[in-house]
Amino acid sequence: MWRYIARRLLQTIPVVLGSTLLIYAMVFLQPGDPIVALFGEKPVSEATRAQLMAQYNLDQPFIVQWLLFLKGALVGDFGIAYSGQPVSELIARALPVTFQLAVMALIFEAVLGVVAGFYAGLRRGKIFDSTMLVVSLIVIAVPIFVLGFMMQLVFGIQLQWVPATVGSNTSFTNMILPALVLGLVSFAYVLRLTRTSVIENLTADHVRTARAHGVPDGMVNRRHVLRNSMIPVVTFLGADLGALMAGAVVTEGIFNINGIGNLAYQAILRGENPTVVSVVTVMVIIYVVTSLLVDLLYAVLDPRIRYA
Amino acid sequence: MTQPLLQIRDLHIAFTSGKKDVPAVRGVDLTVYPGQTVAIVGESGSGKSTTAHAVIDLLPGTGHVTAGSIEFDGVDLMKLGGRRRRSYRGDRIGLVPQDPMSNLNPLYRVGAQIKEVLEVNDVARGKAADRRVVELLEEAGLGDAEARAKQYPHEYSGGMRQRALIAAGLAARPQLLIADEPTSALDVTVQKQILDHLDGLTDELGVAVLLITHDLGLAAERADHLVVMYKGQVVESGPALQILRDPQHPYSQRLISSAPSLRSRRLAASERAEVREEATEAALEVAEDTIAEASEFGGEATGPVIRATDLTKVFKLPGKGFSKRDFTAVDSVSFALERGTTTAIVGESGSGKSTVARMVLDLLEPTSGTVEFDGVDVGSIRTRAQQLDFRRRVQPVFQNPYASLDPMYSIYRSIEEPLRLHGVGTGKERERKIRDLLDKVSLPGAVMSRYPNELSGGQRQRVAIARALALDPEVVVLDEAVSALDVLVQAQILKLLNDLQAELGLSYLFITHDLAVVRQIADQVLVMQKGRVVEQAGSLEVFDHPREEYTKRLLAAIPGRSVEPAS
Repeated sequence: MWRYIARRLLQTIPVVLGSTLLIYAMVFLQPGDPIVALFGEKPVSEATRAQLMAQYNLDQPFIVQWLLFLKGALVGDFGIAYSGQPVSELIARALPVTFQLAVMALIFEAVLGVVAGFYAGLRRGKIFDSTMLVVSLIVIAVPIFVLGFMMQLVFGIQLQWVPATVGSNTSFTNMILPALVLGLVSFAYVLRLTRTSVIENLTADHVRTARAHGVPDGMVNRRHVLRNSMIPVVTFLGADLGALMAGAVVTEGIFNINGIGNLAYQAILRGENPTVVSVVTVMVIIYVVTSLLVDLLYAVLDPRIRYA
Repeated sequence: MTQPLLQIRDLHIAFTSGKKDVPAVRGVDLTVYPGQTVAIVGESGSGKSTTAHAVIDLLPGTGHVTAGSIEFDGVDLMKLGGRRRRSYRGDRIGLVPQDPMSNLNPLYRVGAQIKEVLEVNDVARGKAADRRVVELLEEAGLGDAEARAKQYPHEYSGGMRQRALIAAGLAARPQLLIADEPTSALDVTVQKQILDHLDGLTDELGVAVLLITHDLGLAAERADHLVVMYKGQVVESGPALQILRDPQHPYSQRLISSAPSLRSRRLAASERAEVREEATEAALEVAEDTIAEASEFGGEATGPVIRATDLTKVFKLPGKGFSKRDFTAVDSVSFALERGTTTAIVGESGSGKSTVARMVLDLLEPTSGTVEFDGVDVGSIRTRAQQLDFRRRVQPVFQNPYASLDPMYSIYRSIEEPLRLHGVGTGKERERKIRDLLDKVSLPGAVMSRYPNELSGGQRQRVAIARALALDPEVVVLDEAVSALDVLVQAQILKLLNDLQAELGLSYLFITHDLAVVRQIADQVLVMQKGRVVEQAGSLEVFDHPREEYTKRLLAAIPGRSVEPAS
C-alpha cells in the first residue's frame, strides 16, 4: 500500500518535468515580443530592454530558462510576474477561488448526477428517464460558453436571483451559478454513466439472488444496485476534479472570477513564461494527487482491488 | 396423504418480444410434498429454470405468467399482491442459484450478506445475527467460519461460495429450497461434496427441494421424483428409478441413452475398439503418404505421433513486495500419443491439463522438457516452412464455441481462413473443400453464408471442428471441446469425433474434467492432479481397476454411478 503510494508520487516527477518543458517550449515558440507586450504602445529604450531581458532571463536559450525556473521552483520561488508581484503570491490568491469553484461544481454534478441517473436507471424507458436523456444530450451538445451566457442572462440579469458576475466577492451564494455552469457538462456524463451502470447491475445475478432471499426492493436497489454502480462513477468524478479546474478558464471568464484560469489566460496573452509555467506546474501536481486519491478511494469502494 | 407443499397447475409462461408473446413454458404440472426432493431435468431452453423462477416471482426481463396457478402451502401465489407475494421469498421459499461466481455481491463481506437474509426475514438482528451467521456457515460445511464470515467473496473458492450461498438460502429456514443447477459450475469432486452436504442438511431440516438440472444421472441419484421437460412441456414425470429403468417418452429415452454417466461401460468399450482399429489403419496410410511427400519432419510411420517428455511449466507469480514466487503448473509430464488413437488428460480445474495442451500446440514454451512431433523436437522449430507444416498438421478445438469463432466472419470465411493462410488451392477448390468439410461434420451447405450468432452451440462446435480439419491435420487437440454442450449434443459430437477418427486416422489429445465422457472416446487416460500425472493407463483399466485414491475419488464423484439403467 505505502509502496504503491510512494511509487505513484515518484511518478509525479517525470510528469512535472515533461509538462513544464512542453509549456516552456510552446511559450517560447509563441510569436510576439514579451517586452513589447509589457509596455504596450510606449517606446522602450535599448537599456531598459536589455535590463528587463536579463531580469527575466529572456536572453538565455529556453532550455536554460527552463532549468533556472526549475531551480527556483524547487525552493518555492516561481519568480516575479511582469506586474512586479511574486508569481507564488498570485497563485496563492487565485488557487483557493478556483478550488472552491471546482469543488462546488463537483458536489453539484455528483449529487444531482447520481440521484438523477439512479432514478432514470430504475425507471428505464419511462418519462423521467427519457427527459433526462434528452436534457443531458442537449447539455453535452451545446458549447459550455453558450449555456454559461444564457444562464447568466436569465438568472443574473433578468431574474436577478444571483449576481451576474462574481468579481472579488467569492461568497457561496455568488459562486452557485458559476459552479452550476462549470459542472453542467460533467453532470450530464455522471447521469448517463450512473444510469447505464444501474441498468447493468439491476440484471446482475447477485441482485436477483438478494431478491430471492427476501430483501425488499428498495433495500436491494440501495445496497446492491447503487453501491455497485458507483465504481465507474467515482473513477470519472476523480478524474473530473482536475478537468474542472482546468476547464474553469471559460467559466471564470464569463463570470469575471479571479481564479487560476483567469490568471493563466491573462499570462498567456502577455507571454509571461514564469506565470504560465508555474500555474501549469501547480495544476499538474493537483491533477496527479487527486487521481492518486481516487485510485485509493476505489480500493475502499471495491474490496477486490488491492494495491501492492 | 399429506397436503402438497407446492402445486403447480397448467403453468404457462411467455416472454414478450416486440409485440408478440413467445411461449417458454406451456402447461407445466408439478407437485412437491413436504420434505420431498423433486428434480426438473431438461436441456438448456427447456423452460426448467423459467418454471422455477416463476415460483419465486423472479422471471427475468419480459417474462410473465400467462395462465395457470402456483399453490404454495394451500395459498395460490398468483392471486397474492406484490408485497405479500414477496414475503414468501427467503423465509418460506429459499434459492440456491446456479453460478457461485456471480451470485454473491463482490462488495460486501460474505457474513454481511447472510446476515442481511436473517435481518430482512426477522430471524435475528445485531449481535445475535452475527452469531447465527457463523453457525450457518459451519452448518454449510465451511471450516473456520468466524474468520470466513469476515472475508469477501473473491477470497473464496467456487465450492466455498456455493456453500455460503447454501447457508444464505437456508438461513431463514424455508420449507422449500429451489436449487437451480447448484453445482454445474463446480469440479466433479467438489460437486459431490456439496450435493452430499445439501442432501444431509435438507433431510435433517425436513426441507423440500426442487432441483433443477440438465444432468439426468445427478437427478436420478438425488431426487425421489423426476420431471422431464422438453421445449416448455413436461414430457414425463414419475419416480426417479422408474423413469430411469423404463422411460416412456422418446425424449427421455434419448436422454438416458446419451447420458455419458449412465451409458453401459461394455457398449462404450466395444464401440471404441472398432473405431480404434479402423483409425490406426487409416493413420498408418496417412503417415506413409506424408513421408512419401517428403515432409519438413523426420517421419517414421511407426512411432508415436506426439511424444511429451518431462514437460514442466513454472509460472512466476507476484509474491510479497517485489519478490516473485514460483508456481509449478505442470510438473514432469510424459506421455505418448500413438497414431489413430485418443489420449485423454483428465483433471480438475487447476490441475495443469490445459497448460499441457497449450505446450503441445506450441502456444506456450515449456520451462523444461520436450514435445516431439513425428520424432522432431517442436521447440527446435526455426524455419517458417517447418512452423507452418507443424501448425497444419496439429490443430486445436477449444471449449467455448461461442468465443472461438469470430462473430464478424461468416462460417465460410471462418473455415476458409486457415486454407488461405496456408495457400491451399484456388478459390474454387477451397469452396469445394469447405462443402466437403461441412458435409463431414453433418452440417448443411447452406450454413456457409451464415454467422456464428445464427447457429446453436452444437452447430458452432461442428464448425470449429470443420475448421480444425480444413488442413487435413494428423493430430487434433480438443481442449474441453464438448464440456459446454448439452448431453444430447455432446453425444452427437462425440460420435462425430469417433467417426472422423476412424475415417481420417486422426489422433486426438482430449482434455477434459469429465471422466464420464472419457470412456466413449479415449484409449489412454492420464489423470492429473496439481500439475502431476497421478495415474496413467488404458481407458478400461482406469475405469475397472483404478489404482490411485484420487482416481477412485474422481470416479466415485461421477453422478448417477449408483443408478445403473437397464440396458
